[in-house]
Amino acid sequence: MNGRAPQHGTRALHATGRLLSRYWTVLALVAAWGAWVRTQHLNQIVAPTPAAVFGDVLDNPGAYAPDLGWTLLNAAVGVALGMLLGLAGALLVWTSPVLSGLMTPMALIMRSVPVVAMIPVIARVVGFGTAAVLTITTVVSFFPVFVLAGSGLRAAPAATRDVFTVLAASGLTRLRLLLLPGAVPALLVALRLTAPTAVLAAMLAEYLLGTHGLGQLFARSVTFMDPARAWGTALVATVVSVLCFVGARAAERQGTARFT
Amino acid sequence: MATTGISESPPAAPAPPAPAALELRGVTKEFSLRRSRTVTALESVDLTVGHGEFVALLGPSGCGKSTVLRMVAGLEEPTYGEVLVEGGAPAHLVRRHRLGIAFQEHALLPWASAYDNIALPFRVAGRPVDAARVTELLELVGLEGFADARPRQLSGGMRQRVAIARALVLDPEVLLLDEPFGALDAVTRRRMNFELARIWADQRITTLLVTHDVDEAVLLADRVVVLTGRPGTVRHVEEITLPRPRDRALARNAEFHDIVDRLTALLDEGAE
Ligand SMILES: Nc1ncnc2c1ncn2[C@@H]1O[C@H](COP(=O)(O)OP(=O)(O)O)[C@@H](O)[C@H]1O
Ligand SMILES: [Mg+2]
Repeated sequence: MNGRAPQHGTRALHATGRLLSRYWTVLALVAAWGAWVRTQHLNQIVAPTPAAVFGDVLDNPGAYAPDLGWTLLNAAVGVALGMLLGLAGALLVWTSPVLSGLMTPMALIMRSVPVVAMIPVIARVVGFGTAAVLTITTVVSFFPVFVLAGSGLRAAPAATRDVFTVLAASGLTRLRLLLLPGAVPALLVALRLTAPTAVLAAMLAEYLLGTHGLGQLFARSVTFMDPARAWGTALVATVVSVLCFVGARAAERQGTARFT
Repeated sequence: MATTGISESPPAAPAPPAPAALELRGVTKEFSLRRSRTVTALESVDLTVGHGEFVALLGPSGCGKSTVLRMVAGLEEPTYGEVLVEGGAPAHLVRRHRLGIAFQEHALLPWASAYDNIALPFRVAGRPVDAARVTELLELVGLEGFADARPRQLSGGMRQRVAIARALVLDPEVLLLDEPFGALDAVTRRRMNFELARIWADQRITTLLVTHDVDEAVLLADRVVVLTGRPGTVRHVEEITLPRPRDRALARNAEFHDIVDRLTALLDEGAE
């Protein structure tokens, strides 16, 4: 009509093209899954079709929402506590070389212990239920934050530290005006690393020890032989942790641009 | 208040001479390296800087110039000898926030604007920020329009101007500059030299400038102290009596070139 509509059309086409070129692997994976189920003539109990799974999620959002909310809450509280405690630990280590010699190697070792191995130990100590789930998400976020915040606090250039020394800055002033702002990029890297992991850790902990959440939804669906729901839970969890990663990465980019 | 009459007041003795602004007396500095080995960076250095004097410490890299400056700033302790600032330990002046310093690395806070970087000494000292003073310094270094710019949005020369403004904002008694233009290209560097000459003429603060650039030293200083060797020792002191204000006309001054040539030759010999 006025030459605008076609333009809009091309732009949409371009956008679709960009999306396709970036995420075609995801589509290919879903297609392969569908083809696999069909060609192997697998029973729906063993492996539901993509259509069944997507259909279950889209038709029954209410069945997922409360558990998803619960899992996200567990993950968010865990990440927040982990960041807080990790930063507090890094600050303790910053004030005392003795503590540093004690805690840093321990943190490095703990960081390489997989979550699954921690779960039985934590269950033994804090028991089952929400406390256990929160402990696990907190522990999972604590170590990367502790290590990265520690190096972030030491990231200030020597010349800038000298300027603060010549200005007779107190330890607290140095921390507030130089070291903490300087550690923000490292803290955001820690957030990007922990946010998606925390969602998956929360699910795993809920599955094994919890009473609510996506992990429990998955467990219930398996028990009641509802494969579409079980796979749907996995799908929702995957999408949510990818979104957490994308969100955290955006925050990291913003923060890095602001603080460096 | 002698009430007993036992202690008598000294007969009108001449007042002791006011202490120099900066004084190094027989300063030797050793750094310990690994396995109890040491390296001597400076060997019995004597140096005096008067009030309101601009002294340039000139020498090849590695001869201990920065070490001198860091000792004056209280960032290092001399191994032997004495470093006095206004007659006392550098720490006294530091504690009163009376020392300004700028390095080759601008050492600005990357997340803060030019204004906030210049205001930093107020905040560190726990004083309310004097906005008029900060603005005055932005003007002094020719950055009126860049108050809100962050360091990464500024050129190298502009960043050094902010760093110098930050060093000046609390109106220090002593200004210490360690190769502040060392990372700039030759043309910008010379431009900044004339800028600093103008700023200094305006403020007349006791200044110690460390540099390996002979032109820069002669152009700015009242006195050039040539440091050579490893360990560094004072090899020569040159009074620069060139008229002020010093501006680009200096490029046509024969005496200027004469001094530069002589000091360059001295550095050359020192390098043998
Ligand atoms: N912290 C230090 N530890 C060990 N050696 C040092 C230290 N600082 C300086 N030095 C040594 O002292 C000498 C003089 O250094 P410096 O004062 O930085 O020289 P300049 O500023 O003239 O280039 C050099 O040999 C350098 O390696
Ligand atoms: Mg140096």
